[in-house]
Amino acid sequence: MKEIKEKIDFYDCRVIEGSSTSIILDNGKIEEISRNYGKGAGIRALCGGSWGYTTVEGELDLEKGIQAASKLASSMNANTPKEKVELSAVTPPEIKNLPEVRLDPRNVPIEEKVRLLKDLEIHAKVEGVHSTKVLYSESEFKLEYRSSEGVECAYDFLNCGFAVSAVASEGGLYQAGRESRFAYGYELFKTENVLELAENAGKTAVALLKAKSPKGGTMPIVLDQELAGVFAHEAVGHASEGDLVLEGDSILANRIGEQIASPLVTIIDDPTLHEFGYYPFDAEGVESSRTEIIRDGVFESYLHSRETAAKLGGTPGNARAQGYSMPIVRMSNTFIDNGDAGFEEMLEEVKDGMYLIGSRGGQVNTGEGIFQFNAEKGYLIENGELTELVRDVSLSGKTLEILNHVCLVGNDLKLTAGRCGKGGQLVPVSDGAPHIAISKALVGGA
Amino acid sequence: MYELAKKALKLAEKAGAEEAEVYYVSNHSTSVDFKKDALESAKDRRSEGIGIRAIVNGAVGFASTNSAEDLENTIRIAVSSAKVRESDPDWVGLPSNGKYPEVSGIFDKKIEAMDLEDCIGHALELVEGTKEYSGVLPTSGGFTRAKGRHLILNTNGIEIEEESSAVSGFVDVITLEGEPSTAYDYEVSRKLDIDFRIIGKNASELALKSQNGISVEPGKAEVILHPFAFSDIIEAAFAPSLDADNVQKGRSGLVGKIGEELAVPELSIYDDGLIEGGIETSASDDEGVPSQRTPVLEKGVLKTYLYDSYTAGKAGIKSTGNASRGSYTAPPAVGLRNFIVEFPQSNLIEETASGFFVTNVIGAHTANSISGDFSVEARNAFTIKDGALDKPIKSLMISGNAFELLKNITGAGRDIRKVGGFITPSIRVSDMSVIG
Repeated sequence: MKEIKEKIDFYDCRVIEGSSTSIILDNGKIEEISRNYGKGAGIRALCGGSWGYTTVEGELDLEKGIQAASKLASSMNANTPKEKVELSAVTPPEIKNLPEVRLDPRNVPIEEKVRLLKDLEIHAKVEGVHSTKVLYSESEFKLEYRSSEGVECAYDFLNCGFAVSAVASEGGLYQAGRESRFAYGYELFKTENVLELAENAGKTAVALLKAKSPKGGTMPIVLDQELAGVFAHEAVGHASEGDLVLEGDSILANRIGEQIASPLVTIIDDPTLHEFGYYPFDAEGVESSRTEIIRDGVFESYLHSRETAAKLGGTPGNARAQGYSMPIVRMSNTFIDNGDAGFEEMLEEVKDGMYLIGSRGGQVNTGEGIFQFNAEKGYLIENGELTELVRDVSLSGKTLEILNHVCLVGNDLKLTAGRCGKGGQLVPVSDGAPHIAISKALVGGA
Repeated sequence: MYELAKKALKLAEKAGAEEAEVYYVSNHSTSVDFKKDALESAKDRRSEGIGIRAIVNGAVGFASTNSAEDLENTIRIAVSSAKVRESDPDWVGLPSNGKYPEVSGIFDKKIEAMDLEDCIGHALELVEGTKEYSGVLPTSGGFTRAKGRHLILNTNGIEIEEESSAVSGFVDVITLEGEPSTAYDYEVSRKLDIDFRIIGKNASELALKSQNGISVEPGKAEVILHPFAFSDIIEAAFAPSLDADNVQKGRSGLVGKIGEELAVPELSIYDDGLIEGGIETSASDDEGVPSQRTPVLEKGVLKTYLYDSYTAGKAGIKSTGNASRGSYTAPPAVGLRNFIVEFPQSNLIEETASGFFVTNVIGAHTANSISGDFSVEARNAFTIKDGALDKPIKSLMISGNAFELLKNITGAGRDIRKVGGFITPSIRVSDMSVIG
């Protein structure tokens, strides 16, 4: 035991214990009530230039886990030795500013949650909607971190939320509307008008039935806060992740200090905000902090783990992991910062084009700097006014071109909660923006 | 925890469950990953857990845990969750009378016996493969071997245990000169029968071929979809409509279409849990119903939807063995088994005068799973001219509707490939919208 630990340069462990509960109401009927409890740990060891990683679940023997990870790291290093990995220095994090939970969801009886779901369902089921699904979920966990450098820290965490989807159909055509919200306490359901949100999901589905698929092509556009946020996250955020930069898989490699966007564009990643991507310290025990990725169009910083920060120069604090998985560089709350344009001004600027709203997901090729995402819906902009509702619209293009074509940035920043997948791991994030106008973009339609 | 599984069934009955099911699973995997061309990490992952379904008065409760100490509490929660729900008139019962077919080729002892050095060796083969061409480098990739065991028990007498194994390799590459071009390739198998060098080599070749892409005019065209692209689109835009749960809830584009000619008559699709060595092959589905081969489309005609035992009970028919669980932490839901696409094969590219060839698509998950509409970005796409791949295309969006697509299939290649559970050749589709 002692010998193997002496061979390695560093180890750390994250122990997570927690449970999650979900209730699904499908077409007015409870479809599922489920609860999952889990306890486990992810353990890293570094030997020279090689990492060893082990996960253990259930009854934990951390010493054994550290030994196993150390063995993996040292045999990797013996088999395929390479340049030593340096980790940027850390100081133990100060845990402050944890989100306040005013109404603990664990104290709310399950019957009340079921009643809430039924109310949401009734509101989503506006005339024309023939199918609904409402999900409530709640999770709590305790996370403990410790490392061979003597950092020890821990926090408890709780969140809850709901998602509603409504489907309307007519003559073999199906359209869906969706809304969701997450927060740290059950007060979400008192402070937000969740019933109205549910109703909006239903109304969207019904309205989309009548919407047309527009003709695609290159045109000026306005993006709403959600879709502009997806662009900030998918197209810019991912390409600024230090690990992708080091892999040679980012269009933003070697561009620090360059003007890569319109001077109107500032993009920030901030895990200290009490949004869905919040964390007090990251998966390497580094206190979270705000990063300006782009400031006034100039590319300022990558996002870093300790390893990428040491290699590229920068501040760590963006290493994250799903559950017991190995930490990788991730975003937190990522957004385009407010400008000063009004919405009407944007419509006038665009004159003839499209207003794209919401997102049904997207993907990006960070190496080539191209992206594609589908909007939930859109409106044609004709002669500076919103006219017809359209559906099946998607946006694709080159990240750097779009960044340079941003011609107006609004002042109505809003963040939306979501989950981001990378390397097979999902983590909670939020992304957002104010409304933005883009002078030229490729819109896909029917 | 394995030993506790049987005890759990009794405990659930004692806690008030009228029927109960225990799903136990344990997995062990080892992977070796690389960044650029240097091995970066070795990972050893073990997981084990139990999911409990408890039924009280025709209502189902579910809870799961990975802790033996928490098991009794988990069972209590499953039972009390069931009690919160109203009785479900559509609940018929957990499966019973499991008589299981023999399946083969899903467990390879050689995979279980591999040590770290073997795993390192295969990861190096992936990297070496990429170097058969110059001007291109891997960005990331890795080798994984995995071994799993599951046990399904229920109070109706179901008891089935199975072991399985898998190896997989994937690699992402990028070109080094000029405007970068990327590509990837991967392979997964239940046996140690993969040539990992070829995966690396294929990715490099594709990235190099994709360099210096041209722009193309928008329009309607014949498009050949590589098995990667075709399976992605079908999985996202067509398969969800086969799920009986979606059909029963009105969330499927295939409601009321059984017996209808949905596709060209040369096309047949089978959902098959039995084929030798399939990624989705197993003696039973994830709730202990014996696996079977289900004709989904025969000669273009829709034969059936896909059922687990709950949706089958609701429809008054037999389950097609499609209960599926991503992990022990979730109750079963309808999922695909091996999904086999059959169409008369020919020398597809040679027979195509003009059109496009699309290797991969990104954004398939954004498709409308009910209407079948999709709009995706084509990757590693090429023009076809006079029966041969001609020029790479820089950026191409293809859009259409999965149901229309099935009616517009005009050919299949000789390149049948396993893409996870999908087994399909390249498929040629006419009249596809392309925007360059």
